Amino acid sequence: MKLTTVEGMQSEIFVPVTPAPVFTELKKPLNECKVAFITAGGIHKKSQTPFNTSGDFSYRTIEFSTPSSELMVTHGGFDNSDINKDVNAMFPIDRLHELVEEGFIGSLADETYTFMGGGGNVQKFREETGPEIARKLKAQGVDIVLCTGGCGTCHRSATIVTRCCEAEGMSCVVIAALPPIARQQGAPRITAPHVPIGSNAGEPNNPAMQTAIIKESLEWVRDCPGYNQTRVLPYEYRHNV
Amino acid sequence: MSITMETLEQHLKDPAIFCCRRQKGLVIGAADLEDPTLFDDMVESGLLTLSPDGLQIGQVLGSTLLEDVEALTPITRDVLDRVNEPAGAPAERKMQDSTETFAPVIKTSAGGNGMIHIEIGRAEKIENLVMDIPVFAAAGAAAEEPAAAGEKRVIRTLVKKHIRITDVEIGSETAIRDGKITIDGSIVEKAVLEDPLCKSMKLDVIKPENRHVYTETIMDVCPIATKVEGELGSGVTKVADGVVFMLTGVDEDGVQVHEFGSSEGYLDEKMYFGHPGCADGNDIIIRCHVVIQRLSGMTRPGPFAAHKCQDYVIQAVRNELKKYDGEVVREEVCEDVRRRGNPRVVLVKEIMGQGAMHDNVICPNEPCGIQGGQKNVDCGNVPIILTPNQVRDGSIHALTCIGPATKEMTRHYIREPLVEGLAADTELDLVGVVFVGSPQVNDEKLWVSERLGSLLESLDIDGCIITTEGFGNNHIDFIQHIGQAGKRGIPVVGVSFCAYQGQLVVGNEYATAMVEENMDMGGFENNVAGCSCVTREVAARAIQMLKNKMAGVAIAPAPKKWSNDVINANNRLLGLPETVLLDNGTLH
Repeated sequence: MKLTTVEGMQSEIFVPVTPAPVFTELKKPLNECKVAFITAGGIHKKSQTPFNTSGDFSYRTIEFSTPSSELMVTHGGFDNSDINKDVNAMFPIDRLHELVEEGFIGSLADETYTFMGGGGNVQKFREETGPEIARKLKAQGVDIVLCTGGCGTCHRSATIVTRCCEAEGMSCVVIAALPPIARQQGAPRITAPHVPIGSNAGEPNNPAMQTAIIKESLEWVRDCPGYNQTRVLPYEYRHNV
Repeated sequence: MSITMETLEQHLKDPAIFCCRRQKGLVIGAADLEDPTLFDDMVESGLLTLSPDGLQIGQVLGSTLLEDVEALTPITRDVLDRVNEPAGAPAERKMQDSTETFAPVIKTSAGGNGMIHIEIGRAEKIENLVMDIPVFAAAGAAAEEPAAAGEKRVIRTLVKKHIRITDVEIGSETAIRDGKITIDGSIVEKAVLEDPLCKSMKLDVIKPENRHVYTETIMDVCPIATKVEGELGSGVTKVADGVVFMLTGVDEDGVQVHEFGSSEGYLDEKMYFGHPGCADGNDIIIRCHVVIQRLSGMTRPGPFAAHKCQDYVIQAVRNELKKYDGEVVREEVCEDVRRRGNPRVVLVKEIMGQGAMHDNVICPNEPCGIQGGQKNVDCGNVPIILTPNQVRDGSIHALTCIGPATKEMTRHYIREPLVEGLAADTELDLVGVVFVGSPQVNDEKLWVSERLGSLLESLDIDGCIITTEGFGNNHIDFIQHIGQAGKRGIPVVGVSFCAYQGQLVVGNEYATAMVEENMDMGGFENNVAGCSCVTREVAARAIQMLKNKMAGVAIAPAPKKWSNDVINANNRLLGLPETVLLDNGTLH
């Protein structure tokens, strides 16, 4: 008995491996919501231990009262120069305070959690870091979680943690520079501004663009009809590294 | 880490790219490298430019970095102390070993899954990586009676006598004489009484030399076959050769009876002549056109009424065929066999079960008939196992839904290339053919799929091929079915139309050996009946992939976009004709 085999065959149909849907409908108006912003882009306080750029599933706690001047980036996966110019390009903390003042959102969480998703250990993020961040945000009464990725594998880590938050009962969106990754990894909602990785939340020192990206992402949290859907945002920024 | 140890083996030949900046002196390990499945997106978004000088992952593992290298930069020879040579050699050599060690593995496995042991040779940082990959699960019989392995044992025989028909006429009596079928034109008056939803019926004859005639949407193509001895799957069946029935239908308002796309138009442009479900080029077509009650086209009873009334006419011809002793063009001997000791395989055919046209009649009294059969929807769409002979004797009458191109019509099943190919393969032991319906409700899909999983497990099979007609919601079950086999360690090959329009929206890690049915230029569900379905070539590729998978011979992952080049590369490897795509201008 013998089984004839042929070397060199290739599968003919691409199969996306999509995780199970997770979706929490937003049931409040935006101006009554408590909002948190997490990021996989390696943001931390200057006083904190920097992330290990070769892969790190720990997270840092950042009070939303922290002045943006006290924040910095440690991330090996992309050019840091935009964030060095303006940390709001990845973690738009100043814009979020302005949106509370404006009455566009209700309030901000007391503190949030940031991590460095580059080369992230999928299992650790899925089973430990993600659920822990989600629990801590939920405990603060957070309704909406916004998230930026960073590099390619950052988008994967960002999506994993975002899914944990959604599963914990918060309505979340990944603001993605690489929307195909967020989509395939199963982000609950996705917005896609035309920006490079490293300035996922908009051009540095361009508050108008950063505000617009956050506002329209919040609106997508409110309006997105179902799991894993993408809204392309009409904002474009290119930088020359 | 960016690449897990579990997936490293698959990526040894992919480009080696650092996920983050790396410094001089680093000994490169898997954790330093970016996940290659992200490269397409990165290249598309301009983040990454791959270089022809870039090395593969297998070449750089364990090498020491001589200078600092930025993230997302291809690793080249000049920045390393050494390069593992030759490229990918360890992986390739082991691949051949897997076939060489195939026989001993079988002998010692005594019914369990055989495993092959892989070690990666020259990768210092992963020297403890040991992989046990299922190679092939041998039946215990191989050990018990090695001399008899693969020996054929015939369970039952079916003889299909193909009777030459050279002419058809609608006349004043129903008879077959001297190769000519005559059908009493007034039969339609009785036929419509079979179902109150059927309002009128018209019969006419379309000869091969006159195909450029207008037709309403093609609901089905049905052979004329009848039992003269024994039951379905055994004994003797007579099949009229050179003639088929074609059912077309509209409702009283002239609305085509169809679901996703309709094939009304000139017949020569609307049927893929020669495909298994279709008329052959030289077939005489008896067209049975039915008008059904208005607004009943998308209900279960409406389309069924059309099939039922047509079957009344076909039965009258069957009765004549039973008596007719005409020229036998071909005597086709079909056998249900066991080849004990060979890999046990089943074919799973997912059929539509959402209602309306999405339904099939299983095991009628007559081949391809209606009477006496049960509908899979009424059976709860649960898996039903048939013998290969039963399938080849017309156990499925398709009520044929979905789009014209991807639906499997009644004629498809009586000559299904996968059934024929697997049954004839002396290296395999085809245990049976499982039909499983695709329900309408998501929860029911999962329920049915779990029942299929238990069935596959209890059949103790070594491999299976799972097909589906159509695309869209049924792909949810399709992928579930593949997962049910996969999670039980059963090597599985999936067969479907996906291409551009039907690309899978869900997936799992077991759908790694997939065969594409598309034959439309744009990758769309076009309006040519029977265009994109299981053909002889599709079947040959699927069976070969299954053998590869069972033997542990690698099947490369699919590219991220549908490409007919991949299909033709596989065709060339197997010596099959090129898959030529049909451009009929379908744009959706």
